[in-house]
Amino acid sequence: MSNWLAETLAVFAKDWKSEARNLYALNTLALFAITTLVLVSVGLGPMGVDAAGAQVLPFLLWIVLLFATSAGLPRAFVQEEETHTATALRLAARPSAVFWGKLAFSLSLTWGLEILVAPLFLAMVQLDVAAPGQFIAALAAGGFGLAAASTVIAAIIAQARGRSTLFAVLSFPILIPLLLLVVELTRDAVGGFDSGAVLRQLLLYDGTVAVAGAMLFPAIWNP
Amino acid sequence: MPSPRPATPAPEVARDPAAPGTGPDAGARTQADRRPGADLRFHQVRRRFGRLTVLRGVSGQVEAGRVMVVTGANGSGKSTLLRCLAGLLLPDAGEIAYREADAAASGTDDLTDSPLLDAGERRRRIGYVAPDLALYEELTTEENLAFFSRLRGVPRERGPALLQRLDLPLDRPAGALSSGMRQKLRWAWALLHRPRLLLLDEPFQNLDARGEGVVREMLAAHLAGEPGGAGPGLAVLAQPVDVEFDPRWEVADHVQLAG
Amino acid sequence: MTTSPVNTPAIEPAAKPAGWKTFLAWLLWGWLGLVIGAAFLWVPAQAAGFQNPVAYRILFFHVPTAWVSFLAFLAAGVWSVLYLARGRARRHDVAAAVAVELGLAYCVLATLTGSVWSRIEWGAFWNWDPRQTSIVIALVFYAAYLVLRGAIEDDHARGRLAAAYAVLGLAVAPFLYFVLPRMMPYSLHPEPVVNAEASIDMENRMLMVLLAGAVGFTALFFWMHNLALRSRLLAERLEEEAQL
Repeated sequence: MSNWLAETLAVFAKDWKSEARNLYALNTLALFAITTLVLVSVGLGPMGVDAAGAQVLPFLLWIVLLFATSAGLPRAFVQEEETHTATALRLAARPSAVFWGKLAFSLSLTWGLEILVAPLFLAMVQLDVAAPGQFIAALAAGGFGLAAASTVIAAIIAQARGRSTLFAVLSFPILIPLLLLVVELTRDAVGGFDSGAVLRQLLLYDGTVAVAGAMLFPAIWNP
Repeated sequence: MPSPRPATPAPEVARDPAAPGTGPDAGARTQADRRPGADLRFHQVRRRFGRLTVLRGVSGQVEAGRVMVVTGANGSGKSTLLRCLAGLLLPDAGEIAYREADAAASGTDDLTDSPLLDAGERRRRIGYVAPDLALYEELTTEENLAFFSRLRGVPRERGPALLQRLDLPLDRPAGALSSGMRQKLRWAWALLHRPRLLLLDEPFQNLDARGEGVVREMLAAHLAGEPGGAGPGLAVLAQPVDVEFDPRWEVADHVQLAG
Repeated sequence: MTTSPVNTPAIEPAAKPAGWKTFLAWLLWGWLGLVIGAAFLWVPAQAAGFQNPVAYRILFFHVPTAWVSFLAFLAAGVWSVLYLARGRARRHDVAAAVAVELGLAYCVLATLTGSVWSRIEWGAFWNWDPRQTSIVIALVFYAAYLVLRGAIEDDHARGRLAAAYAVLGLAVAPFLYFVLPRMMPYSLHPEPVVNAEASIDMENRMLMVLLAGAVGFTALFFWMHNLALRSRLLAERLEEEAQL
């Protein structure tokens, strides 16, 4: 029997190896993100927004990220069920390795997406960020929350019918606290206000979802 | 009324594990000769899906070195039974008891002190061949087995060795295999970690004569037990029609499912 | 031709409910009747501090239903945990589902009564203050839970997946409690008035009726829950025995 870490890394590596062969998740994420970015930018117009309107921009950034991850992340589990490889995985791997391995995969996709999207967004809407450190922290922590919640919910809906719509329906209520917190944090970062308390709450949310997900995962994954 | 979950079946299930089974020369064996090393028994297993009752109280048993054959028409519940035994489905009622002696740890094949393994432990220990089991289509056969070797803590060389034995190419994506080759790949996957218990659902499907010959050899070797290995293995074999019985098989039980 | 006893389902003819249960049911109805009567007749006809001193009575129905809808959320969470941790008993799964369905009904009622009151009192049906926002989120969560249940056919899978979702929701819900008030510092909901501890702001009679209403509606919820739970479990049993 192997150890947990080796199994987790094996799952992570396998997901990336598969992804490298067909680039499905990366394409989906990039396509949705860029399409939404273009829509946002066109919608705001060539003049952009004034200072009052700029309040809404952090929110738009997270809408773009939310939309793209909703489209691209559930595949981590849905594909396993659809191609019937989940059976082999259930028989060979321990559940916690599957959970953390898939979470790591989703997280790497999300952070990668943010690295692409955030600079593009800032450039397209001509937004200056006063506290870049806090901005990056918001992206990192918010991204983790998105990935963690998506992993748990993807695992749930992969075993149900109507998977694509079901994911959006189930994830929205769970992600509301994340969105509220991360938008506030991003807004403060743009404006240069210190909001360590908000960051702490966001990290607490991240931890809660990860731990709850890890504890619930055996019940979700196993029969 | 469904019984409670059969996670910990009562130890006093029917027969004494050391007692002779239903083989032809059972009476001649004594308790000392018969040290099974592994034992699977299930009792009154029921499973329904919605309104459809698929398994209506099925029982059977098999121990190391022997085969249990499960036959029945399409839709009679063979696959469902095997999934329950594999731990992929929980029965609505009934008990499933599986024990493996850890010969390396205790130095003996005696099952008396071996714990009953629950569904989770069973899942990881068994070898499972079934038509709906698939491997990753975008990875090559070798990469697939390498992944599962990492998961199971098995030396990496085992995969290519099995692939060669089964005459499978190492560098072809699993999605590009013919149906016969896929079936052989399933066998390779099932035997990767040298399991004690093999659950085989229509395992000879799509195989040509040569392929079937090889896997039958592998099954016979599994049942006999590799020298220096864990000991004789056991198998449950499900087929829609009476499968051609191999003289090397010692049939412990023949479960016939009514549709 | 008479059927043999073996073929008849094993359900006895309806027996009279135990005496004490009937008594409790009558007590509940009496209690609620008193609350309703008191809300119209006993409390001050005009209450100071409200824009519309007469229509404030809606409060006696709005507050308890809102309170119960959050209680239902908690109850569903508890039953879900019990389902997962205590052997996957059918009754825990059905109890959680029933709690959510009832919670949804109470939630809708709370939202409707709340918006009516809001319109009368402050001129706007909706203002996205923290309490209104949380009730909408609860509504969305309940609906999502029921959609999930509807999308899974197998009993075992439905039970554990729905339970997992409910527990996840429960884990995440406290964040709303802390985050929302900070996001929306203004509030339509006058804190001192509906806060049960600040009795100085509310006349004694109003407070008493409000608390009595909360107790009554909670009891009503659990009574309805118990009825629905038992009838569903019985229906399942009937179906199983018909199959045998």
